[in-house]
Amino acid sequence: MVIYLKAGGELRAKLKPDVDDYTRRVETEEGKSLAEILTGIGINPSFVAFAFKNGTLKRLDHIPSDGDIITLQPPVSGG
Amino acid sequence: MLRDDETERYGRQLLIPGWSQESLSGATVLIVGLGGLGSASALYLSAAGVGKLRICDGDKVERSDLNRQVLYSESSLGLPKVEEASRRIIRLNPFVSVEKRDVFVDTENAAEMIAGCQVIIDGLDNLKTRFILNEEALKQRIPFVYGAVQGWQGYVGFFHPPLTACLACLMRPDFHTRDRIPVSGVTPGTIGLIQASEVIKWLMGMPPSLLGRLLIYDGTDLSFETIRLEKNPDCPVCSKP
Repeated sequence: MVIYLKAGGELRAKLKPDVDDYTRRVETEEGKSLAEILTGIGINPSFVAFAFKNGTLKRLDHIPSDGDIITLQPPVSGG
Repeated sequence: MLRDDETERYGRQLLIPGWSQESLSGATVLIVGLGGLGSASALYLSAAGVGKLRICDGDKVERSDLNRQVLYSESSLGLPKVEEASRRIIRLNPFVSVEKRDVFVDTENAAEMIAGCQVIIDGLDNLKTRFILNEEALKQRIPFVYGAVQGWQGYVGFFHPPLTACLACLMRPDFHTRDRIPVSGVTPGTIGLIQASEVIKWLMGMPPSLLGRLLIYDGTDLSFETIRLEKNPDCPVCSKP
């Protein structure tokens, strides 16, 4: 199946977008969690503060479906 | 009852239907951290006429603060932020009273720091202290208006458990963050003013737009995206009985 990962802020460089400036197309097996998918493409899940799909927060144990668009966000801590 | 000079000062906002100046002038707002976020929110809450600002920061002003911390100027260098901030706030609006706390928030003083305020504004520069405040705000049932910035990006959320999720539902507290965080000066200005807007609405009995939601702002493409924050049933902070 194919999912699309988008990244905000400093995660963009780690994601290596290939669809547009923010998005990477990822082919993966069904049933894998988001954390497993990230590890599979060389991104340490600990770099991700949170993720969301269709405007709703998703944890890294979320199992995506074919065609999902999931946005990854980095920790942001400045003030 | 507003005095004549207050009615004149706040005249433009008093024209807004539903505006309650008395609700603002009777409120105490805690601003923790007087950096870029705290500068923006303190100035505009002062201008709006919030009755008392309790401001907290143990830091002194450095030259590298001046790209974003608009409470200060060159003449502030080396001086305690709370003193400089207090002077600026009162100069802007003498009807506002300021309670100064020249300390950093920690687990020892958080409860006392929060007590008696109606809402807490997060102007911090680290995750550890945000999680201390998040937990104490939950205990005292005081809303915590989270804000954070990095580079061109910023987050804002209005946490008020048990009505909403809390910060610990959103993320873990143990991310490694840099000591010197890159930040464009306009980013904390934007985020701090959104925090101030949400606080003003809350104090006047209007529902904050970010109650139970998180705003993700990116200045590089000027995108504003909000997501729903469900409570995490396994949250280490707010799921505890």
